[in-house]
Amino acid sequence: MNFKGTLPTLILEALLHEPSHGYRIAQSIKERSHGVLDFKEGTLYPALHKLENEGMVESYESVENGRSRRHYRITRSGRGMLTKDRAEWRALSRAVTTILGEA
Amino acid sequence: MATGLDSWLKQATRKLAKDSVTQVRTEITEHYESALDAAIANGATSQHAHKSALDALGDAKTANCQYQRVLLTSAEARMLREGNWEASALCSRPWLKWLLPVPPALALALFLTGQLAVARDVFVCCIGMGPLLLAPFLPIRTRARGRVFRLVKWLALTTALALLFGPQALKWSWLLISCLWPLAWTEWRRASIRRKLPLASWPKHLYF
Repeated sequence: MNFKGTLPTLILEALLHEPSHGYRIAQSIKERSHGVLDFKEGTLYPALHKLENEGMVESYESVENGRSRRHYRITRSGRGMLTKDRAEWRALSRAVTTILGEA
Repeated sequence: MATGLDSWLKQATRKLAKDSVTQVRTEITEHYESALDAAIANGATSQHAHKSALDALGDAKTANCQYQRVLLTSAEARMLREGNWEASALCSRPWLKWLLPVPPALALALFLTGQLAVARDVFVCCIGMGPLLLAPFLPIRTRARGRVFRLVKWLALTTALALLFGPQALKWSWLLISCLWPLAWTEWRRASIRRKLPLASWPKHLYF
């Protein structure tokens, strides 16, 4: 499914409860959407870099299962952005449902 | 199958700066290895695991386009290294900065001695070049001040050119465009770099 533009919001949501690395973020989005949001994983990192440049997430090196991995965690601005995006999405979703429901 | 990942990485990192290439290679390799481990743990054969890990990454060209939008390209990294010409030209030769007040003083002297046409031309040059040469000495250390400076710089340039050419501006547009093109190009490149770098790592010339 095409969900262009919503990937940054989905990443922030995936990071809301705990820091994570890229692969786990991708799997979390796919699993939570029951495979509907099946995006190409090569596009995840550019979105993560953009969020990092904007100060929405921050990254750090950490060792997991003996392997060094770059982990990402959501920042305060990121939480604020997520709250705003969530409200916008709900309003948009309600509006579209209302229109499609009328058909 | 590692060659498959190598060629994917080669394509995905095209035109990126050295540091960006290293970063992309590290993160994608880590991702690939995790995907490989997960597929093998789910009972896939090594060959299938490699294929599915590579397929999951998607099109390398698309990834490259997206990486170029968020990471420094080699041309941008070069500009970041060498783009400080205003400051390096003036600050490395301290005597040059004492010459900065000379053109406005000359314009004033010419005006006072009645050579109005020459005084006007010198004054117009001062307006146009002033912001470019004064930039290294101004306290521009915030995003807002940088925006104001850039606005003033372009206003000064446009005013200077309008005063210099007057109604003939259209006739000389080819000359104006060819003179302003390098400046506009530099401006566009710097805007792109500003988008990609966090504020904390901006060198001073990125504010100009």
